[in-house]
Amino acid sequence: MTTFTGSERRRGLSDRTFGVLLTLPALVLLAGIVFYPLISALSTSLFRQSLVLAGRSFVGLDNFADVLRGDALEIARNTAVFTISATLLPFVIGFAAALALNAGVRGQALLRSLFLLPWVLPGVVVSFVWLWIFNTNYGLLNGVLVRTGLATDSTSWLSDPLWAMVAVVVAKTWASFPWMMVMLLAGLQTVPRDLYEAAALDGAGAVRRFFNVSLPHLRGIIGIVVLLELIWNLQHFDTIYVLTGGGPAGATTTFAVAVYTTAFKGFDLGHAGALGALWMLVLTVVVIVYLRYSERREPRPV
Amino acid sequence: MTSTLTAPAPSRSRSAAARSRRRRPIDKGKLLAWLTIVLVGAFALLPVYWMLVTAVRPAGEVFQFPPKLLPTSVTFAHFQSFVSDPKLLGYLLNSVVVSVATAVLTLAVATYTAYSFSKFRYRGRSSLMYLVLASQMFPHALLLITLYLLFNAFGLLNSYLGLVLSFTAFTMPLCIWMLKGVFDTIPDAMIEQAKVDGAGRFTIIHRIVLPVAAPGVVAAGLFAFIRGWNDFIFALTLAGPDKQTLPPGLVNTYVGEFQTAWPALMAASLIVSVPVIVGFVSLQRYLVAGLAGGAVKG
Repeated sequence: MTTFTGSERRRGLSDRTFGVLLTLPALVLLAGIVFYPLISALSTSLFRQSLVLAGRSFVGLDNFADVLRGDALEIARNTAVFTISATLLPFVIGFAAALALNAGVRGQALLRSLFLLPWVLPGVVVSFVWLWIFNTNYGLLNGVLVRTGLATDSTSWLSDPLWAMVAVVVAKTWASFPWMMVMLLAGLQTVPRDLYEAAALDGAGAVRRFFNVSLPHLRGIIGIVVLLELIWNLQHFDTIYVLTGGGPAGATTTFAVAVYTTAFKGFDLGHAGALGALWMLVLTVVVIVYLRYSERREPRPV
Repeated sequence: MTSTLTAPAPSRSRSAAARSRRRRPIDKGKLLAWLTIVLVGAFALLPVYWMLVTAVRPAGEVFQFPPKLLPTSVTFAHFQSFVSDPKLLGYLLNSVVVSVATAVLTLAVATYTAYSFSKFRYRGRSSLMYLVLASQMFPHALLLITLYLLFNAFGLLNSYLGLVLSFTAFTMPLCIWMLKGVFDTIPDAMIEQAKVDGAGRFTIIHRIVLPVAAPGVVAAGLFAFIRGWNDFIFALTLAGPDKQTLPPGLVNTYVGEFQTAWPALMAASLIVSVPVIVGFVSLQRYLVAGLAGGAVKG
């Protein structure tokens, strides 16, 4: 029972070293699947390189010049329009839903779960459902518009540049407002009740109570959810790719779609890398703002 | 900044409530809350209803304009056509295999890392934690540019292993953060006591810590499963026709330039959604923490 075995001696390995060793499998995986491909993809921006042909040649900043002369600015604009609208719209709807659920209605838990459904569904299902609703010939949207007399004719929502962007934003809004709702509802429920009561005693109406009690309390969580949603939308791919494929005529081509199609349909890794580098530039700025912001709020980076 | 941009919506609704408050003892605020709930509920649930109805009504009724909101008869033919299609069943099998393997591998790797982050203190620990956090912020479309070449070089294209490795790399960060939160709640005294009793390091992890943390570990595994199940862009790119999972498989099967078999696609959509919905129902308790994407404290 008390004999010292080899394993006993192996405890010479310090806790510190053991702790680091435990993280190794994860770090190796991340290095191989995330960090190496990232650096390597960014470096392709300096080369003329094809997905299907071997070899590459150094071209300096030519790829950047090409994409900037090409449609990089339009892609940046589309990305901005999509990212900002698909963040603000879910925020407004999610906030309204959170306030309504927090107003002491019965069945709050059940309603919250039901409203979460769109967020829970897989991304492609979200795309399929809206693809079907926006269908020109048999779609629900055209059906309702024609039947109620709001429109006399069917509209091809996804082949009109303006409506196509609206369509992808609506689909993404549907899928992400529930997350906003749950986060803001969780925030609202941490506001101490007696603060509201005190404000009410002082004669503050609902509007004053919202601006002077709820909003200051929620400032932190609002910043976090809006920044995270911006980061996610900047990278969003599924809904746009399935609904419009980036079309019509590039009207919904964001960085995610452009990088993907340039690499895997055009086989042009150099241009895809250049677009990707521009994309990362924008993304990094938002991520840094996010990290700063969440760090200021929390002593730990959790 | 963001709050001033977006505040008008709730304030408008509140002031409407204030205006009409004095008329009756009925709580106008609550009335307004219900009105909001009905509107948001319609937006949230009407598309889900439409998917459901399309999947169970006869094809003749689906291709009718304007569409009728209520089905006149119900059929399960569209589900049957899914079940009798070997290609679709193949995608389903691939999805199950890849997602289960992703969950298992993710837990195997994330558990040790999370335990290390939670219970050990060493130089560079917080940098490593940031590195893991940052790794999920890189856009997938960008990584795929050269991940494809890398997998091609190692013969991992169109293989289960390739999909599982890439899914795992992307589900891991969230699971590490979730599990670290779980391990943080386990008192150090418990581990110290085990050490005094002579338990080895791995014995402590496997026999003492994991049983206590089991519910959290299961939750993290479910999250990894769901993320693998839902992935679109990686399977679309890295898997060939015979290793493709359901999401890209369905897009390739149904979303053509011409006629799309809508009732069949809606039936298939429901089939893809079921495991995810079941998973989330059992995860309710962890939802808020999980919703935060591993980046915010729940």
